[in-house]
Amino acid sequence: MAERKVLVADDEIHIVHVVTIKLRNNGYEVISAENGADAFAMACEEKPDIIVTDFQMPGMTGVELVRKLRQNETTKDIPVIMLTARGFAVEDKEKEELEISELLSKPFSPKELLRSIEDILYQKAVMQNK
Amino acid sequence: MKSVRNLYVIVTSVAAGSLFAAGFAGWCYSGAGEGLRSAGYVFVALVCCFAAAAGVVWLGWHWLRLVRGITSITQQLGEKQSSRIKPSNNKIINELSEEINKHFGGNSNYIEELEKQVKDLQLKIQLLRRQKGNTDAIIYGIRDAVIVIDEFDKLLMANEAAGKLFNFDYKSSQHKLISELVGSEKTKAGENEFVDFLCQSRQSKSRHTKREIVFSNEGKSRTFDCIVSCVYGEEERVCGVVAVLHDITREKEISQMKNDFVNHVSHELKTPLASIIAYSEMLVDGEADDEHTRKEFYSVIQSQAKRLNRLIEDILNISRIESGLIKVEKGPVSLTILIEEQLQMIRSYAEEKKIEIIGQKPIVFDQVYADRDMISQVIVNLLSNAVKYTPCGGSITIETEVDEIAGLARVSVTDTGVGIPKDEIEHIFDKFYRVGANKKQAEGTGLGLNLVKQIVEKAHNGRVFVTSEPGVGSTFGFELPLATAEAVKT
Repeated sequence: MAERKVLVADDEIHIVHVVTIKLRNNGYEVISAENGADAFAMACEEKPDIIVTDFQMPGMTGVELVRKLRQNETTKDIPVIMLTARGFAVEDKEKEELEISELLSKPFSPKELLRSIEDILYQKAVMQNK
Repeated sequence: MKSVRNLYVIVTSVAAGSLFAAGFAGWCYSGAGEGLRSAGYVFVALVCCFAAAAGVVWLGWHWLRLVRGITSITQQLGEKQSSRIKPSNNKIINELSEEINKHFGGNSNYIEELEKQVKDLQLKIQLLRRQKGNTDAIIYGIRDAVIVIDEFDKLLMANEAAGKLFNFDYKSSQHKLISELVGSEKTKAGENEFVDFLCQSRQSKSRHTKREIVFSNEGKSRTFDCIVSCVYGEEERVCGVVAVLHDITREKEISQMKNDFVNHVSHELKTPLASIIAYSEMLVDGEADDEHTRKEFYSVIQSQAKRLNRLIEDILNISRIESGLIKVEKGPVSLTILIEEQLQMIRSYAEEKKIEIIGQKPIVFDQVYADRDMISQVIVNLLSNAVKYTPCGGSITIETEVDEIAGLARVSVTDTGVGIPKDEIEHIFDKFYRVGANKKQAEGTGLGLNLVKQIVEKAHNGRVFVTSEPGVGSTFGFELPLATAEAVKT
């Protein structure tokens, strides 16, 4: 089975680093970006299986990134997990509208993030096989 | 009226006796009864005449008394003080007095009652005038806009604040339709909503209703808390509506600022905490394979814990200065000495990055009247920022100038760092603001420059300034009043 690719977008380098190590240790290929614009460009080019993005990033917020991803044909179906240190940053309606798979509030557990990624990718695989 | 009846009998008897005597005398004189002419008959006639004369005298005297009694009664009636006619010896007058007392005595009480009521009403009118005066003074004095309309939606009363808000002359607009005064211009959003709200409240007879309405005029928006209360007349009929409009724009802004601040603080505190928790979990779970990785993880935890501590300190300091809780212990302080002390602290950090520090020229008198610890904090924040955002091999220049005419000392720190984009420079002293493009350069809380501004401007009545050119460098600095003899004394 080919390595599943995860794009991690966060302007906090320590967060990107720790998530990268956790996912790599568990057999994932990880690519990363420090802002929304780079993340979008990378998503279009690399077509990751899942994207983990921070809510607050310079230039383009996580929500703006997801909106852009959903409007693009090649990226519209990529599942997204959003990390946020802000309470009530994303409303349920927006989450549903943008098809954000999961919202994880910071501080988060890398184990929990890994579990969420596995669950979402499993469900995606099941849906594709149907 | 028994005496009056007796009087009638006496008068009738006297009249009858007189007529009889006169008839008898006539009869005798005419010779009709010649046969009867005798002394006895003449005597009877004389007695009758005498009795008639006595009756006339008595009658005259009696009438005189009666007239006097009536005169006395009219006099007493004319006197305002006496409410009752005094009793008399004359029975008729007495009975008449009683009748008058019975009749006019009641009227007098009624008049007294009316007079009392008039007095009461006059007092009530005075009281109401005073109360109206008080109410007018309150309504015209308060800052909230007040509008009172009648049951036909016509203006009864408005204060100056209402006139200003809706742009009408509040003194000369009485009895005009409210829809003609307010909301007639389509450009003023919110006014039509307000008029509809007033009319709806009157129609629905609701006692108190409240609504937040945003009034926009020429691009400016103000939010008002509108409380509308119906005024009830007889049979619960609504005879008017009172509207009070309280401007809550500032409260809204403060509330928004508070929410933003809490959100910012929450975000800024959670960010280092997220790293601490994630890295420590990785260590506990044995995800760090080798010693090098483990050391790296420990180092991240340590640096993030320090960042968290700095953040808390900065937030507390800013909060203390903003709330005025911190004690500013001012005294004459030499800026040259303070800068030299802070340079010692920062020099090793600058040397690591091979940054040259060009010191200040000695100035004879550069004493400012300031809190030594606070100004040290300002200088160290500016110096450490300069080192953080200056690439290796750059330079930092510290200058102190004294403007004796303006009575100011000016300190500036110029670096050859990354600079700040033009559109971001106005926010550089804002809380938690960090230049997006420069975040990679160094860690920061986004509070250091805000703390500088708070200390200089809020605690010392000074001024901060910044100039910058991206890719060339920035100059940050501050001005403080020089320590004059008067300032030191106070």
